[in-house]
Amino acid sequence: MIASVGFLGIIVAAASSAALAGRSILALARPERDTSRWLRWPVGGLVTGSVVAMVALEAGLLADDFSIAYIANNSATTTPFLYKVASAWAALEGSLVLWGLVLALFILSVWVGRARRGDDRLGAGALAVLGVISLFFFVVLATISNPFEVCTAHYQGGIGCAESTALPWSASVSGIEGFGPNPLLQNHPLMALHPPFLYVGYVGLTVPFAFAMSALLRAEGGDSWLRRTRSWTRIAWVFLTVGIVLGGLWSYEVLGWGGYWAWDPVENASFLPWLLATAFLHSAAVQLRRGVLQSWNFVLVIAAFALTILGTFLTRSGVIVSVHSFTQSAIGPALLWFLMIVLVGSLGLFAMRAHLVSSSPRLDSLFSREGAILLNNLLLALFAFVVILGTLYPLIVEAISGDTVGVGRPFFDRVAVPLSYLLILAMAVGPFVPYRAARPGVVWQRIRNPLRAGLVAAVVMVILGRRNGWILLATFLAGFVVALAIRQLWVTARAASAKGGGNLLVEAGRALRRDPAYWGGQLSHLGVALLALGIALSANSAVRGTVEMTPGDAVPFAGHEITYAAPFVRDLANKTAFGATIEVRRGTDLLARLEPRLNDYDSGQTVASPAVHTGWSGDLYTSLASWDEDGAIALDLYWFPYIWLVWVGGFTTALGGAFAWLMRRRRASAPQPVVAEAAGV
Amino acid sequence: MSENVRRWLAGGVTVALAAVVAAAMIIGEETAADRVLALGARIKCPVCQGESIAESPSETSTAMMAVVAEKVAAGESDDQIIQYFTDRYGSGILLDPPFRGRTLALWLTPLAALATGVVLILGLRRRRPAAAPRLPEEEGR
Repeated sequence: MIASVGFLGIIVAAASSAALAGRSILALARPERDTSRWLRWPVGGLVTGSVVAMVALEAGLLADDFSIAYIANNSATTTPFLYKVASAWAALEGSLVLWGLVLALFILSVWVGRARRGDDRLGAGALAVLGVISLFFFVVLATISNPFEVCTAHYQGGIGCAESTALPWSASVSGIEGFGPNPLLQNHPLMALHPPFLYVGYVGLTVPFAFAMSALLRAEGGDSWLRRTRSWTRIAWVFLTVGIVLGGLWSYEVLGWGGYWAWDPVENASFLPWLLATAFLHSAAVQLRRGVLQSWNFVLVIAAFALTILGTFLTRSGVIVSVHSFTQSAIGPALLWFLMIVLVGSLGLFAMRAHLVSSSPRLDSLFSREGAILLNNLLLALFAFVVILGTLYPLIVEAISGDTVGVGRPFFDRVAVPLSYLLILAMAVGPFVPYRAARPGVVWQRIRNPLRAGLVAAVVMVILGRRNGWILLATFLAGFVVALAIRQLWVTARAASAKGGGNLLVEAGRALRRDPAYWGGQLSHLGVALLALGIALSANSAVRGTVEMTPGDAVPFAGHEITYAAPFVRDLANKTAFGATIEVRRGTDLLARLEPRLNDYDSGQTVASPAVHTGWSGDLYTSLASWDEDGAIALDLYWFPYIWLVWVGGFTTALGGAFAWLMRRRRASAPQPVVAEAAGV
Repeated sequence: MSENVRRWLAGGVTVALAAVVAAAMIIGEETAADRVLALGARIKCPVCQGESIAESPSETSTAMMAVVAEKVAAGESDDQIIQYFTDRYGSGILLDPPFRGRTLALWLTPLAALATGVVLILGLRRRRPAAAPRLPEEEGR
């Protein structure tokens, strides 16, 4: 029953996608007709169908409907509520349902935006492209990756599902128990949040691509597509940023070695579109301000979207082994074909139309804001190139010579670290270099005091006893970036205040509201600087150790005293937890009582659950390496100084984007005089 | 005069601050544990999916890390230790591709890409109009 309803939803969504594509093309072709109502039914059908599919999947999961193969293999009666909900995206088929739903909601928003504009042919073209893309995903969901396949045979003992059929109305058998999600995926509540955020960001990049295609189809260069595309990209970028940071936080809290980023292919797949979307947000500003880089902006938008499909292909087809490859299936070839069509279609269209939409690409001087942003784009594109190269290189070598070569973290770190520091330097100075042609004297006057502030920050770090080069460089840059932003705000507010405005604070607030894109960007830059500092500190001055202990033992570790109070065993719904109560003291103060555990899942897998005490000066991270019946344990201990800066910096980066996005909206609907006033200042 | 003094002082302070930071960076520090960890991060865990032996909690990795630690303590050089592992597991065990042979292109391609990018950007500059023909002395004035 649930399977039939869900499958019907997918069919309706697929048919509506086809109708959306067809009618949008008609609306494009007949400008004389009033097309504003044409797309109502296809969009309505698409949203309804995808919502029905998602609700059916969740209903099946919560009702333990093991006649559905996906549910029998990815959920169990003993799975806690939160993880039952999250199981909807714990494996391939379900995660595609979420993908389709997110895409449908984006299409709805684009349609609403178009309806407001009346005759909007750019929007109609974008909806046509979106219709085609969504048709692909819903056809995949209806055929090779159907989450509503019903079970025709289960494994011995009525567990899971061994064989299934695509026809949801055929006779099915229902096992008595499911396998439950992969233990790693039910070990932390962030599992419920991280994938949806990432998907909104990932799928959101489809919208800029659709607008770019529409602008190319209509040979319409200029700023109109770019303005709309930029705000869609910004939304996707904010979610992608949050999703990536949440992913880092998740692996830190779950994987047991204190790492948050390992240059794993799947991590790279999320990072690549982020890099290009970031580049685009910057180069779009240059085009809007100076009318250059038009063709480059098309390339960035196309590449960012293509990389989301490439990333999905790499990680879902099984061609690359990764800790994230929880699922592999026949979807690989379909995605590869789709990627080919996207690339050939979009680049072909671009090649035919580029001369119609491109601007004369001439700059007055490279020492200017444009020049700084070009440097930013060069570095970000190079960064993306290196990440793709490193990810694909082993595949290429193996395909050519059959040899296996390893390209892992050391390679990425070695290239990414210097690139990142260069980027941060460009990011620090860039926003304070004037447009067109900058005079060195002006720039120096703006940066000299912040430069000193950064040096003071680095000297303080030296006094605090840190001598690692990367840490000092990161500290200097962080101090520099913070001081630059504060100085700029102060100077702006002081000038306005002197002209007869309100006091400094009021004027600072006004300055922030007047140019949310700029100040949102500053906030993001600040976040990146903090993030870099957090990474440098936690990576270069971490303390690690492994101790073997019996109950009552105490060891000193990184300025703390670690006492092993007692072992414990807890029987939980779907697992048994073998753990140790660890007391953390500094001096005589009891800071925390930690309970690192080894979770034995009923499915037979064992997953460690680390326990962390977060303090102002850093995290004390404990993870059980082994646990014996007689109470002897081996405990991995880590001290990560100021690692919270990584999360705070990451979320601040996203917050900057959100600020630019939310404040812009409010301004757009504000009455005219405000704009005039802003223009006058 | 006092303006000049102040400027010199400010410059002097900036240079002094930079000198302190630079000196601290040069002194630096690296302990034995760092070396073990850095070496471990370069060696792939043979039973895992794309993790290094420094990251993986598996028994194989733990045993291999112990070997690395022993060798570091015995005073072997990084190259000797890496050699030990590649002799036993083949060059596929390295996560850290060497700057030669099959992975040379991996290191050179980004450099080529960087060079291409720089050339492209330099080409974006507005070309100065070709030097205007010299005007006769009188008209030039």
